[in-house]
Amino acid sequence: MASADKTINTDVPEKDVFAIHFLQSLSNLRIQNLFNSPDTTNYRVRKIKKAAYVSMARAAGGTSRLWSRALLRRAAKGNNKIVRFPRRKRKVTWKISSKRRRSDQRAPVVEDAAERLRNLVPGGGGMETSKLMEETAHYIKCLSMQVKVMQCLVDGLSPK
Amino acid sequence: MENELFMNTEFPPPSEFEPPSSSSAMMLNWALMDPNPQQDSSFLWEKSTDQQQQQQQQSIFDSALSSLVSSPTPSNSNFSGGCGGGGGGGGDGFIIRELIGKLGNIGNHNSSGEIYGGTTPMSRSASCYATPMSSPPPPSNSNSHMMMNRTTPLTEFSADPGFAERAARFSCFGSRSFNGRTNSNLPVNNNNVVNNSGKLTRVSSTPALKALVSPEVAPMIPGGEFSRKRKALPKGKSKENPISTASPSPSFSKTAEKKEDWSGKGSKSSEEKGGKRRREDEEDDDVEEEEGEGNKNNNTKPPEPPKDYIHVRARRGQATDSHSLAERVRREKIGERMKLLQDLVPGCNKVTGKALMLDEIINYVQSLQRQVEFLSMKLSSVNDTRLEFNVDALVSKDVMIPSSNNRLHEEGLQSKSSSHHHQQLNIYNNNNNSQLHPNNMMLQSPMNSLETSSLARSFTHLPTLNQFTDSISQYQMFSEEDLQSIVGMGVAQNPNHESQHMKLEL
Repeated sequence: MASADKTINTDVPEKDVFAIHFLQSLSNLRIQNLFNSPDTTNYRVRKIKKAAYVSMARAAGGTSRLWSRALLRRAAKGNNKIVRFPRRKRKVTWKISSKRRRSDQRAPVVEDAAERLRNLVPGGGGMETSKLMEETAHYIKCLSMQVKVMQCLVDGLSPK
Repeated sequence: MENELFMNTEFPPPSEFEPPSSSSAMMLNWALMDPNPQQDSSFLWEKSTDQQQQQQQQSIFDSALSSLVSSPTPSNSNFSGGCGGGGGGGGDGFIIRELIGKLGNIGNHNSSGEIYGGTTPMSRSASCYATPMSSPPPPSNSNSHMMMNRTTPLTEFSADPGFAERAARFSCFGSRSFNGRTNSNLPVNNNNVVNNSGKLTRVSSTPALKALVSPEVAPMIPGGEFSRKRKALPKGKSKENPISTASPSPSFSKTAEKKEDWSGKGSKSSEEKGGKRRREDEEDDDVEEEEGEGNKNNNTKPPEPPKDYIHVRARRGQATDSHSLAERVRREKIGERMKLLQDLVPGCNKVTGKALMLDEIINYVQSLQRQVEFLSMKLSSVNDTRLEFNVDALVSKDVMIPSSNNRLHEEGLQSKSSSHHHQQLNIYNNNNNSQLHPNNMMLQSPMNSLETSSLARSFTHLPTLNQFTDSISQYQMFSEEDLQSIVGMGVAQNPNHESQHMKLEL
């Protein structure tokens, strides 16, 4: 069993990569001059949150991960100016329905939890449970990294 | 298609042969067959590393094996189908070669092991039989020797108890591709016989065959659970054997399962095998050829090409149904990944059981996402005054902190950057291993993660940074403190009124 772990690669880049991406996205946001009026707090928050996710997806490896790919695609759909998502020429179609139908029969306890996980992890809808868990592991790692970066930033920016 | 197969090898069609239950009859048939094959250079007996020869030999072996395999006709049709599809797929029929080698060496028990030893790493084969023999049998077993043995197979066959086993095993194998089963562990130790006998899946029924089978199986499936799956994507865990073969036909996997089954259930297995085979044939027949073709490409690859088949072995006493096996593989996969997740999620060690652990994981992911949201809210309240600093800090950071990760996608970077940042990004993206500016050394040395350096050319033009090198030098690690220091650099650049403004806002 231990040998199989080698095949599951859940390495994430260092914190500085995340930091750089996030700061770049923030500076991009700043350039857009969104932060002038207090009325747009929610909008600002959402923007920052989206920037955080997108930068995290980029830092984590761009399109090499299913979840990051789905995240970027989701972001690219909304606003093409900020996020440029490389178009894939060939659409990869997964037999989602068949997989899911099949997986429903298996270990319903696991599958219920997997369903909830799919809602949380971006791009989880098209994955089988085992792949989903792999992606979740990587996603958790990247999320925690991103949280750390943001925490540092907030701490650094807060008045001393 | 059967005839097609045998046209190459000039072996009599398998239909002549009786079902595996009559091992002696099988052996006899095989023995009869043996003198028939032409002794051309392409025959398997020749220890040739030539791929083509191997292929030819494999095809010969395929036919030999299929004939040897006293399997019911549907499986034979599968052979031909698979073999036809696999063709002379690189080194296919390794098992067959092995078998023939073994058979040839029946008279020489001491050398029989050598034969197997010689035929070590069996790479994947596209055809139905075995994996290609990457290395020829050892030269010690000269051709003449084997040839000689070949001519007198019958007596030796009957004499060798191991032969029956091997024949049985090969008979099972013959019907399907060996896909990875006969991987690098083929140097068979005849000594290993008994240990893995319990693990063998369905096998031809006679006990003699069982004895034959286990030595072959033993090296190939060292102690493992191991059955061949036909899915293109790795469905189960690949076992110790680097599963290089690309062509596990599902039927073959079934034979593996069947073998195991047989060990546990004796004669019942043969019936099951018959029934199951038919079922599997129906299911997988059409897929077999495709994968055979696809696998053909992988024949010459080293073990574990990307498109791998996971070979799983049914456990003793467990169902060997293909679905249940797949199910078990899948469950194991999931369990293994759960363990992986368990390490990630803090506090999950005490939780036992999949359901609870999954709940924990879900909670953790949710909490992380909430944290991101909360922090982004905080940042939004802070940022409007501070973002300016961020730009400067970003510039310096940008330059100083190289992308140590090869995953950094430059296209993403560039797409995000405005023209102002583009220059920095260009600099940033030039991962030259040039020396950093000494000002950067402060920051760089603490940064353990720095592997590649991008030149901090623009760093020098930020005069204010010199003030902060002192503060920066305190920080030993590029950690939160470092980040704060970088941010602090930007903060300190601004006059006081902004800080007052900031205070108001906060």
